[in-house]
Amino acid sequence: MIAIEVNQLQKTFQTKRKAAGLAASWRALFRPEYSTVEAVRGLSFHMEAGELLGFIGPNGAGKSTTIKMLTGILHPSAGEAKVLGLTPWRERQKLAFHIGTVFGQRPQLWYHLPAIDTFTLFGRIYELDDRETKKRIDFLAEAFEICDLLETPVRKLSLGQRMRCEVAASLLHRPKLILLDEPSIGLDVVAKQHIRDAIRRMNQEEGVGVLLTSHDAGDLEALCRRVIIVNHGQIVYEDKVSNLKRKHLTTKLVEVRYAEEVPQGFHLEGVDILKVGRYGVKLRFDTEHTPVDAVMAYLSSVGALVDITISDPPLEEVIAKIYKEAAPKDVGIL
Amino acid sequence: MKKYLAVINMQFINNIAYPGDFLGRSVSIAVFLFIFAGLWKTTFLVTGTDTLNGLTFANLLWYLMMAETIELGRPRINRVISEQVKNGEVAYILSKPYNFILYHFSFGLGDSLLRIIMNIIVGVLITWLLAGPPPSPLGWVMALTAMIGAWLLHFCMMALIGLAAFLVEETNSFELVYQKMVFVLGGMMLPLDLFPEWLQRITRMLPFPYMMYAPARLFVKPDLSLFGQMLAGQWIWVAVLVFAVALAYRGSEKVLTVNGG
Amino acid sequence: MKNLKFLLALWRANLQAAMEFRSAFLTQIVFMVINNGAYFMFWYLYFDKFKEVRGWTLHDMMLLYGIAATAWGMAAYFFGHFTTLGEVIAQGRLDYYLSLPKPVLLHVLASKSIGSGMGDILYGVASYLLSGYLTGDGFLRYLLSVLAGVCIFISFLTIIQSLSFWLGNTVALSQIALSAMLTFSLYPSVLFDTTTKFILLTIIPAALVGTVPAEFVRSFSWQSLLQVTAASAIFLVLAVTVFHSGLRRYESGSAIQVEV
Repeated sequence: MIAIEVNQLQKTFQTKRKAAGLAASWRALFRPEYSTVEAVRGLSFHMEAGELLGFIGPNGAGKSTTIKMLTGILHPSAGEAKVLGLTPWRERQKLAFHIGTVFGQRPQLWYHLPAIDTFTLFGRIYELDDRETKKRIDFLAEAFEICDLLETPVRKLSLGQRMRCEVAASLLHRPKLILLDEPSIGLDVVAKQHIRDAIRRMNQEEGVGVLLTSHDAGDLEALCRRVIIVNHGQIVYEDKVSNLKRKHLTTKLVEVRYAEEVPQGFHLEGVDILKVGRYGVKLRFDTEHTPVDAVMAYLSSVGALVDITISDPPLEEVIAKIYKEAAPKDVGIL
Repeated sequence: MKKYLAVINMQFINNIAYPGDFLGRSVSIAVFLFIFAGLWKTTFLVTGTDTLNGLTFANLLWYLMMAETIELGRPRINRVISEQVKNGEVAYILSKPYNFILYHFSFGLGDSLLRIIMNIIVGVLITWLLAGPPPSPLGWVMALTAMIGAWLLHFCMMALIGLAAFLVEETNSFELVYQKMVFVLGGMMLPLDLFPEWLQRITRMLPFPYMMYAPARLFVKPDLSLFGQMLAGQWIWVAVLVFAVALAYRGSEKVLTVNGG
Repeated sequence: MKNLKFLLALWRANLQAAMEFRSAFLTQIVFMVINNGAYFMFWYLYFDKFKEVRGWTLHDMMLLYGIAATAWGMAAYFFGHFTTLGEVIAQGRLDYYLSLPKPVLLHVLASKSIGSGMGDILYGVASYLLSGYLTGDGFLRYLLSVLAGVCIFISFLTIIQSLSFWLGNTVALSQIALSAMLTFSLYPSVLFDTTTKFILLTIIPAALVGTVPAEFVRSFSWQSLLQVTAASAIFLVLAVTVFHSGLRRYESGSAIQVEV
């Protein structure tokens, strides 16, 4: 079942060009000049029901614009989209009953009230039954581990606690799909872990689809099965996260430690030796040029291996590379 | 010294930078003058007389114009002071009384000066349209002299309200009530001459008439003996309020040292 | 209806938020009552001297204040954003309301509560009760007048502030419109000439909130009834139309905010 279907979605903005200087400002008042910003150019993709989809791109890539169109807040210049079978900008209110949103920078919880009061209010907004709301709150409180936090005014909560409450709030009405925009921004490592676990759990238990936009590659790795990368208003990459790393960067980093001192003349063709210590070696090689088994054979032949670490390059590197690779066809931004 | 001149300058310019603010005030002056023109015109028609307690229609309107000028030119230091109290800044400057008072004085002066000038210009234009030419130069001289004392009284009151932030969270409510006290007991809307006898006697013992009635009344009917009376009263009250501010100041310092800022 | 339950929930949330700062809330209410009382002192003194002006006495002024202050207070307390709608629009905060399944204008307006409004309500009701116009059907006319006043206050301000969709920031304009409306509504139209009276019935409908309903409560007349109810309906329709027209512009992205 398809949750989101997007076909050649386009959004072009006309912004008034700001004039510098008094004379220009005067002129601009009577004959304003407009510059065209093509925020989204012919976007097409789909998302399965219950999927965990990552939607990433650098600033100005068109992410927020796309999300706004998918929630019906913005009307596209051209193209079509269907979210849960509804056209967002035509049936916004109807769609709102079935989706949830969390915007990292725009909180939904009332600042001076305890979270539970906002939850109760949301119960009314989504026209839920009182008892149902209460049960749902209890369930979410447990799932997000916010039971003790519910009665505390939101302004007294830490950012991590607040975000957990925000995400919980977005799930109150059992939406089939939630859109998270930068949910882990500003959070520490532990808080991020917490949120990711909770989101994953909701996805597994309730089959809620999650469309996640984030700058944090860790969010992607932890949560998303598939990822769409946009830049300059277009999709530049679309694949499973696992493939992302495998196909794109073939460099491997290896660190080994031996039981005895590393012998002199430690050397292998096609391998970058980064560091040689008394007992350990750090090296890097490209699997496209140097076969893995040759490296492994050599390493184990040198001595008795006590420890070995083989790591992939960080996802950020991969993504950054993709950003750079994608050449924009026509840059419409003046 | 230079620093304080700079503060005056800054506030002066600040007020220029907000034309919306100026527009709002001008409309406010216009609205009140217009309404009261209607009120007094109708009142005169109903009573069938030309003067009320010696005041003509023109007198009443020019009176209001001067009163409005003063009201809208009040130094808004209470807001600055209460802000400083709320965010703790006050801890640093309160310990240096000279700096504290002088700073806020400069702030208030810069804040008020431009506004008073602009109010006078707008007020004169509108009142001229509604009620004919302005009072004699003597009126202007007396009014402007009395305005100094009036301004100082406002300044002290605003300082007291600002310092009240040490005790209460919401001081804006105080400002609102104070404003209304001045409106009524200070004779802004109704000149004291039109008050019933008993009330006139009571209000003359309060500082409010000296904040508003004094300059406005001297403006429309310059009178030497009244001038002397008003000025004397003003400066007595200035002394009283300055003393009150000094006390409040001392009290605030104590609160600060007890609570640690 | 479901929307009524929704409004009640919003009002409840606002009250809870106000209760978090109980003393400030109470102070605001008390001081607003004092503030209004002090302001009204002027009329006490005026009528002490002049007894009656064109059929208006002190009691009539109390009635006028009773209607206008209560209407203003209810608008401010229950639909507090009617004074700050322009800012909400200009700062892009509408997105929040657009992402939720409730009527946007209603949601925005009722999402804020101006605490001092309760002071105006209390003062207004007291003023009416003491005005001497408390009779069975007089009270009903009073209620109708207040509701109409709430409607007109909110609608008028909504129309002005919806201009934010086209003009960006309208803070200065909104404040001027607000204070003009409020000030004029507290003075009986008998003081003014025909042209002004006309303006106060149309462009700045202050008379429709003050004088006209006051005369309606004094004595029933079909004309006043019609004026009051028709005016509320017209302004309401206008407000909703203008707002939604602006909203469409906002949704097409041609309004001020461009966040890619």
